[in-house]
Amino acid sequence: MKEKIHIRQSVKQWLENGTVDIFLGYRDVEGHAVPHGFTLADLDEVESMAASESRYALEKLAAKIHERHPDKIIGMIARDCTQRALNVLSIWNQLDAGKIKTITVNCCPSQLKDHAACSYLEPEKAGTGKKQFGLDPHSDIEEAASAPKHERFSRWMYEMQKCIKCYGCRNICPVCFCRECSLENDDLVHAGMLPPDVPIFHLVRATHMAGRCIDCGLCEEACPMDIPLRLLYRKVNHIVSEVFDYDTGSSSDQSPFSVLGDKVTLEPKPIHQDTLEDA
Amino acid sequence: MTIKRITFLQELLSFVGLEERLHLSWISSAEAGKFIDVVGGFTEKIRSLGPNPLKSFDLEPWLKRMDSGQQTETGVQTSAAAG
Repeated sequence: MKEKIHIRQSVKQWLENGTVDIFLGYRDVEGHAVPHGFTLADLDEVESMAASESRYALEKLAAKIHERHPDKIIGMIARDCTQRALNVLSIWNQLDAGKIKTITVNCCPSQLKDHAACSYLEPEKAGTGKKQFGLDPHSDIEEAASAPKHERFSRWMYEMQKCIKCYGCRNICPVCFCRECSLENDDLVHAGMLPPDVPIFHLVRATHMAGRCIDCGLCEEACPMDIPLRLLYRKVNHIVSEVFDYDTGSSSDQSPFSVLGDKVTLEPKPIHQDTLEDA
Repeated sequence: MTIKRITFLQELLSFVGLEERLHLSWISSAEAGKFIDVVGGFTEKIRSLGPNPLKSFDLEPWLKRMDSGQQTETGVQTSAAAG
């Protein structure tokens, strides 16, 4: 409770003295915490600001705001996963870290803070059917990799064929920002087909998570079919750290999967004389 | 970088039970002999692995298995038999 009041005060202060132009947090709507942007124009709304276990990819909203208004300073509530996502988004040039101000809240429990506020500390317990045919989302990557080849294949295919192609995993993902998504490319994923091409749909997404996934677990939390996506992407992160020696989320270096270099090495295009005269 | 990216894919495919089906070699246009060896060797390897289990992937066996509520053969063999 104390924390909540403290946060509201800081947000009001930040908006009033111009530290931030907009503050992204949660607002209480009929008992549900929904993402909301608080501004100076509606300062009273800050009173309805909610602190709860609910999570949403606020950093994704921030990237969208930043795209339209690159000069604005954006404040937001941040958990540990938010910090990692902000780091990745700024590495991938989707955000300017200097334009973001965060208020950190407790989340994942650790030795330093035992109390936690997160809607997805643990996945749901696997039922008997899932244990028999699929994968227990509680299992770690070593466990999942230890099964014989045929069993591994059949278990993953069981999980992937449940997909109803809601795109929830992609839409909630804080580090999914491509303008053109391979998952909507008709050559890879056929429109109107259910389940979506198994296992291409999920393997394409897994591949694109390399160097990006910050293990927030929002995808798995959003998945209506309980596909153990976090487990799959944890493996992705594990391979990336083994093969590329790159720790996604904590490293501040350019991702090894970035197709953009740091510097522009090409000469700028010469401006055609005709175009100058026309103008 | 290519070798790392391919290693990444190989490991990922292996994790979901599709190992050994992706191969990378550097062969120059002057190395006809090497090309024959690599392609021939990989073809033999794939042949010994059998058809791609995904080719015969079919939802029906899964549904049947779930109807009966028991784990029979592995998914690969069941779907291959059904296909």
